[in-house]
Amino acid sequence: MMGQISQFLSKNRKLIPLWSTALLALAAYAIGAYFFVGMRNPQVFFNLFRNSSYLLISAIGMTLVILTGGIDLSVSGVVALTTVSTAVLLREGWNPWGVILLMLAMGMTMGGIMGSFITYLKVQPFIATLAGMWFARGMCFFISDNAVTIDNRIFQILGKTKILIPGLTEIAIKQGNPPPYVSIPVVVGFTLFVVTIFIAHYTRFGRTVYAIGGNEGRNEQSARLMGLPVNRTKMLVYTFNGFCSALAGLALSLFVFSGHGLYASGFELDVIASVVMGGTMLTGGSGYVFGTFFGVMVLAVTQALIQFIGSLSSWWTKIVIGVLTLIFIGVQTVLANRKVGRQAAQSPEVLRAVRRKRLWQGIGVGAVFVLALASIIIISQFRAASIDGSTENTQCDVKPFRESEAAGLIQDGAVIVYHRTAGPQCVDELFAIYPDGRVTGTDGVNKVEKQVTPAEVEHLLTVISVDHKWFTADIYSTYLTPCRQCFAHNISISYDGQEKSATGVDGTTAMPPGYAFALAEIRPLLPVINPAP
Amino acid sequence: MSEPDQNILVMEGISKAFPGVQALDDVSFNLKRGEIHCLVGENGAGKSTLMKALTGVDQPDSGRIFLDGKEIQAKSPQHAQSLGISTVYQEINLCPNLSVAENILLGREPHKFGRVDWAKMNVLASETLQRLLGVDIDVTKPLGSYTVAIQQMVAIARALYMASAKILILDEPTSSLDVNETQQLFKVMKKLKDEGVGIIFITHFIGQVYEISDRITVLRNGKLVGTYDTDSITRVGLISKMIGRSLAEFDEMSKIKLDSSKHIKTEALLQAREFGLTGAIHPFDLDLHAGEVVGLAGLLGSGRTETANILFGAEKADSGSVSVNGNLVKEHSPLGSIKRGVALCPEDRKAAGIVDDLTVRENIILAIQANKGWFKYLSLQEQYEIADTYIQLLSIATPSPDQPVKNLSGGNQQKVILARWLATNPQVLILDEPTRGIDVGTKAEIQKLVLSLAEEGKACVFISSELEEVLRTSHRIVVLREREKVAEFAGEVDEKTIIHAIAGGEA
Amino acid sequence: MRKSNGHSFTWKTFTESRLFLPLIALSLILLFDLIFIPGFFAIENRDGNLHGSLIDIFRNGSTVMLLAIGMTLVIATGGIDLSVGAVMAIAASVAGILMNPSALKNEVFFVTDPNYTFQPLWLVIISALFVAILCGLWNGMLVAYVRIQPMVATLILMIAGRGIAQLITNGLRVQITYKLFTFLGQGWVILPFSLYIVAIMFVFTWLMTRKTAIGMFIESVGINFRSSFYSGIDEKKIKLMVYTFCGFCAGIAGLVASSNIKTSDANNIGLTTELDAILAVVIGGTAMAGGRFSLLASMVGALVMQAITQSMYAIGVPAFALQAIKAVVVVFVILLYSEQFRSFIRKFSVPKTEAKP
Repeated sequence: MMGQISQFLSKNRKLIPLWSTALLALAAYAIGAYFFVGMRNPQVFFNLFRNSSYLLISAIGMTLVILTGGIDLSVSGVVALTTVSTAVLLREGWNPWGVILLMLAMGMTMGGIMGSFITYLKVQPFIATLAGMWFARGMCFFISDNAVTIDNRIFQILGKTKILIPGLTEIAIKQGNPPPYVSIPVVVGFTLFVVTIFIAHYTRFGRTVYAIGGNEGRNEQSARLMGLPVNRTKMLVYTFNGFCSALAGLALSLFVFSGHGLYASGFELDVIASVVMGGTMLTGGSGYVFGTFFGVMVLAVTQALIQFIGSLSSWWTKIVIGVLTLIFIGVQTVLANRKVGRQAAQSPEVLRAVRRKRLWQGIGVGAVFVLALASIIIISQFRAASIDGSTENTQCDVKPFRESEAAGLIQDGAVIVYHRTAGPQCVDELFAIYPDGRVTGTDGVNKVEKQVTPAEVEHLLTVISVDHKWFTADIYSTYLTPCRQCFAHNISISYDGQEKSATGVDGTTAMPPGYAFALAEIRPLLPVINPAP
Repeated sequence: MSEPDQNILVMEGISKAFPGVQALDDVSFNLKRGEIHCLVGENGAGKSTLMKALTGVDQPDSGRIFLDGKEIQAKSPQHAQSLGISTVYQEINLCPNLSVAENILLGREPHKFGRVDWAKMNVLASETLQRLLGVDIDVTKPLGSYTVAIQQMVAIARALYMASAKILILDEPTSSLDVNETQQLFKVMKKLKDEGVGIIFITHFIGQVYEISDRITVLRNGKLVGTYDTDSITRVGLISKMIGRSLAEFDEMSKIKLDSSKHIKTEALLQAREFGLTGAIHPFDLDLHAGEVVGLAGLLGSGRTETANILFGAEKADSGSVSVNGNLVKEHSPLGSIKRGVALCPEDRKAAGIVDDLTVRENIILAIQANKGWFKYLSLQEQYEIADTYIQLLSIATPSPDQPVKNLSGGNQQKVILARWLATNPQVLILDEPTRGIDVGTKAEIQKLVLSLAEEGKACVFISSELEEVLRTSHRIVVLREREKVAEFAGEVDEKTIIHAIAGGEA
Repeated sequence: MRKSNGHSFTWKTFTESRLFLPLIALSLILLFDLIFIPGFFAIENRDGNLHGSLIDIFRNGSTVMLLAIGMTLVIATGGIDLSVGAVMAIAASVAGILMNPSALKNEVFFVTDPNYTFQPLWLVIISALFVAILCGLWNGMLVAYVRIQPMVATLILMIAGRGIAQLITNGLRVQITYKLFTFLGQGWVILPFSLYIVAIMFVFTWLMTRKTAIGMFIESVGINFRSSFYSGIDEKKIKLMVYTFCGFCAGIAGLVASSNIKTSDANNIGLTTELDAILAVVIGGTAMAGGRFSLLASMVGALVMQAITQSMYAIGVPAFALQAIKAVVVVFVILLYSEQFRSFIRKFSVPKTEAKP
C-alpha cells in the first residue's frame, strides 16, 4: 500500500504542495474547532471566505504573474488607492456602478503601464512594481488625507447582502439557527477563481503564461523560439493583475465601508505568501491557480485561530505566516534542487529513489508544522486557563463608541472626553474632564467624580496639543478588533477653538505614537469606576 | 545549381571573422535531399559558426546560401524555421514544465468553441510522434519528466509539425543518450531521410558517423578540409583529417622536448589511483612526475575535461583517491588544490575562467589572493608588479593592467587566465585547451612555455584537441576514448599509433 | 608605487566612474532647490552646531545611508535583502525593552526621567546589534547554504520579523527617553551625531572591502561565481558574510531610527526604508545582478533619495504625495541607467581601444 501511495504521489508530484496546504488548512481548522466551541459554528467557517475574499481575488491575479516568473509588489497600493478613490467618488455623488467600472479600468491601466515597463523597457519586475506601489499609495493621500466612509446605499447593499448557502439553509432553520451566509464579494471571488482556472488551462494565453516562467529564465527564451507571443502575454498578465487588485480593492471597500491610504499595509506579502503556499514556485512555470485558494485559506484560518486564541495578539499572525512561507519555500527548493545534468547518467532507479526520499522529506516537514501548530494552540490554551481559570474564550462584546454622548459632553463644556471599551474586564467607561478641574466617569451604571486642579488640566491640554501634536495630521484614527488584554479608546478634545476626535486600540501598533503619549498623559487623572473586588 | 536539384542546400564561400580570429574561411557545403550528412571537426573548427550562418543566428561576412535552388538569407531562427530549416540543439529549447503535446503544438494548438481542445491536441501530438518518429509515449505528462532522448524526439516533432522541414540540423544530439536511445534516434533519422528530408548531423562520436551518415564534411580551424562519402574514407583517415599533423616547427619542438626529457624525476608529484566519477570518467590510474609534460589526447567528449576537473577538485570524484607529494588528499576543492600547488587552467574561458568585469590585474592575482585568504591583501604595488611580470612574459596585449578583461580578445583573455595560474607557482599545472582560439604564433609560444615549465621542475598536463600540439609538447601521452583511459604512450610515439588508439575498433 | 598609465582625472575617467550619474542626479536636485527654494542652502549656527535644510538631508538620510552600506555588498553578490526594515524594528525593540522592560508586564509605563534606563547603554547597544547580526546570519544561511533565492529567503524574515519585533515588546510601543540613547539620533556635535555614525561605518566598510581582499571577492562572486569557484574563492562564506553584515548595518540603523522617534515602533520603523536602501544602491550604479560596487556612489544614491524627500517637503508637498513623486523619480533613474542611455553617454567619451570578440 505504501508503494501505491508513493507511486501515486510521484506521479502527481506537482500537486503535493497544493494538497499539503489544503490538508494543513483543514487540519488547522479541525484543531481549532476541537478546542474552541465558537469555531464549530458554521458561520465562522463561512466568515473565513467573507474575511478573505479580497485576499483571494488579489492572489488569483498574482498567481498568473508569478507563474511567468515575475512579481507584482504594487497590489497593496492599488487596493488602497481603489478604496480611497471609491470612497471619495461616492461621497461626491458619482454613480456607484460607474465608479466600479472606473476603478477596474484604473487598475488595468496601472497594470498595463507597469507591464510595458517590464516587458519593453526591460525594467526588473521588482523595481517597476515597487515604483507602482509607491505611486499608488502616494496618489491615495493626494486624494484624501483621512479615512473616508462609504455610505452609498448601493454599496451598502452590495456589501451587506447575505447570500445564503443552498442546502445548508434548510438544515439550519430546522436546527433553529440562523442560516449561514456569504457575501457578494465572495461570490465574485469564486467566479473569478473559476474563470482564471479556465484561462490558465484552456487558452493559449494561459499556456503561454506557463511557458514563460520557470527553468531560471531559460523558458522565456525557449518560448520565444517556439514562436509564442511572449511580450504580449507578459503585458496582459500585469494588466490582468491590475484588474484583480482593483477588484480586490472594491471587495475591501465593500467589507469595511471606508477607504484610506493606509489600508492593506503589507498586503502584498500576504498575497505572495498565499500564492507560494498554494504550490506556485516563485521562479515560475509551476503551480496551480487552484492551489492559491488553499493558500488563502491557510492565512484565513491562521487569522481566525489567533483571534480565537485571543491571548496571542494579531502580530503572531505575521510570525506564523512567515514561518509557514519558509517551510513551503524550503520544501519547494528541496524538491526542485535536483541536479539535471549528471542525472542523465544515473539509472532511473537511482533517480526515483532520490525523488521519493525528497518527497517524504517534504511531507515530513509539513507534518512537523501541523504538530507545531497544534502544540502552540494547546499550550496557549493552558496558559490562558491558568490566568483566568476558564478555557472557554467568550469574546467580549465590544461596545460601540458613544459618539453622540461624547459630543453632548463637549457641548456642556468638557475639554477632554475619553471613552474606553473592551480590556480584560470588558468595560465600557466614559470620562469627561472639565476646565475647572472636574473629572467625571460613568459606565452606565455607576458614576464617579474626582477633582484635580485647573492648572493640571491646562497643562494636560498644552502637552497633548503641542508636544503630541493632537490637532495635526500626525494624529489620526485607527481601529481594529481589540485583543483580550487590549482597550479600545476614543479621545475627543476641544481646546482653543479646535475640536478633534480620534480612536485607537492597544496591542496594535498602527496607532500613531502621539496617540499613545496622549493616552498616557490622560490616564493618571482618571478616577477608578469599579474598584477591584 | 545547374544539377537537377539533387542538392537541397548549397552554401558557397562562407566566411566569418570575429575580432582576432577567422572563424570561417571560404567554406563551402552542400546537402542532398534525403541524405544524412555529418559535419565533424574539433572545437573551434567552425561547425557551429557555419550552422549559425545557415540558421540566421549570425550573418556571414561573405558567401551565398541556396535553399532548393533559391538564394536565401535567414534573418533569425524563427525566420529560418519558416523557410524550412529546423534545428534541434543539444540544449533542448522547449519548456520542460509544459506537457509533451503542448511542446509540440503550442502556437498552432487546436481550439473548440474558443477554448483549447486538449483531447484533440493530445491525439494530434500522439499521432505526430507515432507517424513521423515511431515514438509512443504519454503526451500529457510534462516534458521534463522524460529523458533527454525523448525530449529530443519531441523537439524534432515540433520542428516537423510547425513548419514542414526541408532541412533538419541535429547539433550533438547523442551526447546525452545511451546506446538504445541513440538507436531509436537513428531509426527516426532514417525514416525522415526516406521522406526526403535533408539532415545535417553534427557529432563527435566517430562510430556514429560511420553508422548513420552518407557523407562527411570535415572542418578544421575554420577551413574546409573536404567532403567525403562515408564508405570511401577509413576511420583512421578521417581522424587524421580532423586532427592530423600540419606542417609546423615539428623538428625544432622535438629537439626541445628531447632535451627536457632529461630532467624528468622519478618520484611522482601527483598520484591518482582508481580515480573516477560515475558518468564522467572511468576510474583511472595516473602518475605525474616533476619535469614532465603528460598530454591527454582524445576526441571531444572522451572525458578529458572531466579528468582535469576531478584532478583539480572542481568536481568531486566518487571513487578512488589522489595523493599530492605523497599525502593523500582528503578534502578536495579548488582552494585545497591551490594550496597544495595544483592548478587548473580550465577549458571554458567564459564560464569558468575570466571574471569579465574585473581588470586584467585583478584577474591575474585572483587565485593567489584566494590562497592568501580574505585579510592578507596583496598591496597594490605587489599586484601591479605581478601583473606586469606576466603581461610581459606572455605578451598580453592590453593598454594597461586596469583594462577590464572583457575588452580583450579571446586569445589575450586566455593568456590572462594562464597568467593567473602560473602566478600561483604550482607544482602541478593542468592546462585544458590552453591554446584554443589563439593565433598560431602564440600557440607555439605557449607550447614552448609549457616545456620550459617542465624544465623548471613542474609536472604539466596538457590537454588539447590538436593532436600535433599534444605530440609536440608531451613527454608522455595518455589516450582517452569514450570516458575511459585506454592507452598510455611514453617517449617518442608516432601520430598514427595515437590515432589508432583514439579511433579504437576497426580502422 | 606605480599607478596605471592614464589615470589622470580626465573627462573620460569621470564619466565612466560609478560616481558620475549619481552625482549628476544629485546636482540636478540641488540645482532645483537652489532655484525654487529660497533659503534651502542656508546654514545657521546654533550654539556651535550647524543647522539647515542641507544638514537635514544628511541627518534624515542617515538611516538609509547605513542600510545602503550593507545593502551594497549584498546586491554586489547578486542578491538582495528585503528584511532590513524588519531587522531595524527588531533591533529597536530589543533596545527599547532593555531600557524599559515594563511593556513585558503589559502596561505602558511612562518613563519621564531621561536618566533612567533598565540596563546600561553599552549592554543595550550590544544586545540589539547582536540580535541584528543573528538575523543577518539567518538570512545568510538560507541563501548560501540552503540555496534559497535571496528575494524569497529575506522575504520570510521581512514578514515574520515585524511579528518578532512586536513579540519582543509584547505588542506595545516602548517609549524611549533615555538621554544617552536618544543622542544617537538627535544629538549634535557641530554636525548631527548620526552623521558621525554613518561616517564611521562607511570608513570601516571601505577599509574592510578595499584594504582586504573581501571587496574583490565580493565583486568576483557577483560577476561570475563559477570562475570565482575555479579560482579558489568560497562563494558560500562570502555570501554568509555579506548578509550578516547587512543585518548588522540594519541593527545600527534601527537604533538610530528609534532614537529619532523616541519609541520602538515595530510596525512603522523602517517600513519602507528597505526599498529606499535598495534604490539608493541601484542609483549608485551597482547592478542588481551583482558585480562591481561603489560604497561612495551608494551614499550619493541615498542622498539623492533624501534630497528629493527634503526638497519636496520644503516646497510644501504633503508627506504622502511624496511617495508618488519618488516613484516617478525612481523609474526615471532606472531608465537613465538602461543600456540605451548609457551608450548615448559613451558617445561623448573617448572610444575604447579593443573591441569585444
